[in-house]
Amino acid sequence: MIKFDHVTKRYPGSDEALTNVSFTIEAGEMVFVTGHSGAGKSTLLKLIAAIERPTSGTVLIANQNISQLKPSAIPYMRRRFGLIFQDHKLLYDRNCFENVILPLHINDITGLDAAKRVRAALDKVGLLHKEKAMPITLSGGEQQRLAIARAVVSRPSILIADEPTGNLDASYAAEIMNIFQAFHQVGVTVIVATHDALGMSASHNRVLHLDHGQLKPTDFIQNGNFTA
Amino acid sequence: MINWLNQHAQAIKLVLTRMHYNKLSTFMISLVIAVAMCVPGVFYMGVDHLSKLSNHMQDETEISLFLKLDASPNVASEIDAALAKNTAIKQYHLVTKDQAWKDLKAKAESNKIDNEVSQLTKNPLPDAFFIQAKSADPAALETLKNELQGIPGVDQAVLNAEWAKRLSSILALGTKIILFIAALLALALLVIIGNTVRMQILTQKEEIIVSKLIGATTSFIRTPFLYAGMIYGLFGGILAIVILTLIVQLYNQSVTQLSNLYSSDFSLPWFNIPLYIAIIISSILIGWLGSYLSVTRSIAAIKID
Repeated sequence: MIKFDHVTKRYPGSDEALTNVSFTIEAGEMVFVTGHSGAGKSTLLKLIAAIERPTSGTVLIANQNISQLKPSAIPYMRRRFGLIFQDHKLLYDRNCFENVILPLHINDITGLDAAKRVRAALDKVGLLHKEKAMPITLSGGEQQRLAIARAVVSRPSILIADEPTGNLDASYAAEIMNIFQAFHQVGVTVIVATHDALGMSASHNRVLHLDHGQLKPTDFIQNGNFTA
Repeated sequence: MINWLNQHAQAIKLVLTRMHYNKLSTFMISLVIAVAMCVPGVFYMGVDHLSKLSNHMQDETEISLFLKLDASPNVASEIDAALAKNTAIKQYHLVTKDQAWKDLKAKAESNKIDNEVSQLTKNPLPDAFFIQAKSADPAALETLKNELQGIPGVDQAVLNAEWAKRLSSILALGTKIILFIAALLALALLVIIGNTVRMQILTQKEEIIVSKLIGATTSFIRTPFLYAGMIYGLFGGILAIVILTLIVQLYNQSVTQLSNLYSSDFSLPWFNIPLYIAIIISSILIGWLGSYLSVTRSIAAIKID
């Protein structure tokens, strides 16, 4: 599904953000990307989502080399992903319903069908009763759940979340992680970058641990205890 | 197809909603477009109606065909036949030398210059045909004149087309000036609309970034801004027509007075449908082009990270 082969990413005028990273993520896996801040977690996710291109090495998504994608093909590649960010990236000039429907409009889905899917997505994250509310009136946890609803409404096969619990307290964070677990259980590939172990729920998930841009061997997390 | 229409309907709805929230700035940009469209519009109306006036003057663009003094009535009737066959001639009439002599004497008496005329012992006037051409075009008149000059028995063909010539060249110059002004103003509009759309893109930056992140194509992001440019053009065009109609209404009185002095019924009509359609279409086109030129670059300049 996702394959990194000796990937190095260097931003102009700075050190290497990622050095010689190789790994494979199979369809339906749930993977955590961990590491201190600045270790290259965000860069890794951006490479998967075709927001950045590798300086060297190859990134294969569903057997397509993203370095060789034409600019016009990138939007269609991105539609495979549901992206979730630490800062939500919600649009504050429209209500919850209109925020969630945006990916459907991009996919040419409109009308009743779209409305049904928006409500289903809002229901999954427990925000159905807030569809008319403006995002600014929601709490931090609710905003993040709204962002998740927007990410999943077009039923992507891969969910990518960059520090989704970074700004949330423990109970909200656990709630968010449970939502990701639920998607994982219905077969969605879930990739979550997080700098705290707290966000990782007690389950057998693979961890990609980054240290100064290099992938360090890790064990599977066992009951919330992981060693790097 | 339905999806495609739906997407465009969504885009237009989005643009109109945004404009609804920014009524004042929408009105301002429409007003700028309207004023810029008005200036060549007013000039055009002036020149257009002067051309119509010049068509009125067709009656006065006469060719006078003077026969030789010793021409016999036979020659006159031959020429008459030749003129009747000429397709470039609208109408003509013959004034014989006796008739002209009588007229001259009558006119001289009424103007009390009979001294000079009565000193003439014999009729100095030739037979003459007065010809109205079908065309008011100076070149066509010149050709016709030269043709008539060649008929045997004709002494002289005189073209009274000086006015037509002058007016025609002034009108040609006027048309060129209108084109220049229109081109310059169109250029200014392109820049103004491009800049307005660029500012809008900057205010919608968040939305564009999010759209790009969730897989929107460039054309999906661009479409609303192109519609915004076109709708500005449409509003500007309509406003330009309103202003033009007002101008025409205000100035018609003075124009009517002026043309009354020249005993003409010349006045500017209130509605000039082809001009209005041209104004609306060109302002929509300029709006589209202005935003197209700026939108592609501005969207590409927004980086997602």
